[in-house]
Amino acid sequence: MVMRSNPDPSRGLGWGAFLAGFVPGLLQFQLGQRRRAALAFASCMALFFAGWTVVGERLFYWALITPDESGSPMLRLAARFGLPLSLPELLNLPANALGALLAWDGSPSGERLWRLPRAMEHLGGFLTAASGMLAAFWSAAAHWELRRRRDGGIDAPAPVADPALCAGLSWLVPGLGHVRAGQKDKGLLLGAAVLVVFGLGLLVSHGHAVDRATASVWWIGQNLCGGGSLFAALVTGPLRMETAPEHLALGTVLCTVAGLMNLVVMVDAYTVAERSVFPVKLSEATS
Amino acid sequence: MSLLFRCAVYALVLFLVAIVVVGQRHATATDTLRAAVPRTGRWLLLSAALVGAMFVLEALFIGW
Repeated sequence: MVMRSNPDPSRGLGWGAFLAGFVPGLLQFQLGQRRRAALAFASCMALFFAGWTVVGERLFYWALITPDESGSPMLRLAARFGLPLSLPELLNLPANALGALLAWDGSPSGERLWRLPRAMEHLGGFLTAASGMLAAFWSAAAHWELRRRRDGGIDAPAPVADPALCAGLSWLVPGLGHVRAGQKDKGLLLGAAVLVVFGLGLLVSHGHAVDRATASVWWIGQNLCGGGSLFAALVTGPLRMETAPEHLALGTVLCTVAGLMNLVVMVDAYTVAERSVFPVKLSEATS
Repeated sequence: MSLLFRCAVYALVLFLVAIVVVGQRHATATDTLRAAVPRTGRWLLLSAALVGAMFVLEALFIGW
């Protein structure tokens, strides 16, 4: 791959790199990191199919666009290839497509299976989603390496911590990425802020705010706080809901807000590590 | 849920969101906390103005 030193740093890496990021390991392969490429692909596939064996075709039910009988023929055709928006699984495109191909049954009885709750589906749904997030972090790692080589040359200095690793750690434990990048007290503060909002949401909803089966669209945002949604998948999700808690809506919103807050924390953790190599110029910071 | 409790939850969540938002411009927890307080105050004022504007619109178009 041809790398130029010191072009305009505000320039992006292009659509090619963006789209290649949807296939785990492809960018690492292009960078010549064969072992990392294999590891990225295998880890994302393994995580997805660990969850897929539990949830199977139920992923169609959780998609933003459901390819049921009322949908257009085009949508139903796209569903065969995993293209209805199952987020964040879509970020792991090959596994999502393969899972969709294996699970697709367009008959009415097949569609009824989408709606059938499964044992351990909370954990299964978390694992398939985690594979999408993992694919995004592998992609971020490759994008970082592309940028490091492009803007810093082949002998660019190593960052204080891998930016993609910092973002991934913050997904799992809010604030941990900042701790890894050297901003310990700020990481603890940001992590506490996210977890308090998430915990408050679970508390007022008696633990029912984070449930992919009943609030799949809200869950997309809640899953951005990976540690929180893992806790919910293991502990509160399987709890039986006899009657809807009075403040279920408030809890759902709070947990989603916490997820979106953690997205900001993840991006900031990435940026903190990135700036250890490419510091922001004073003129850029004040503009 | 009493109105006071709702306002307390709203203010608390707003403060925690402000911490995350202003945290992007600061490197330490102390600086972040110091900057989050006025930001929360500003957002609370804007929220109050928004609620006031909605009351005015309600009075104008629906009636008191």
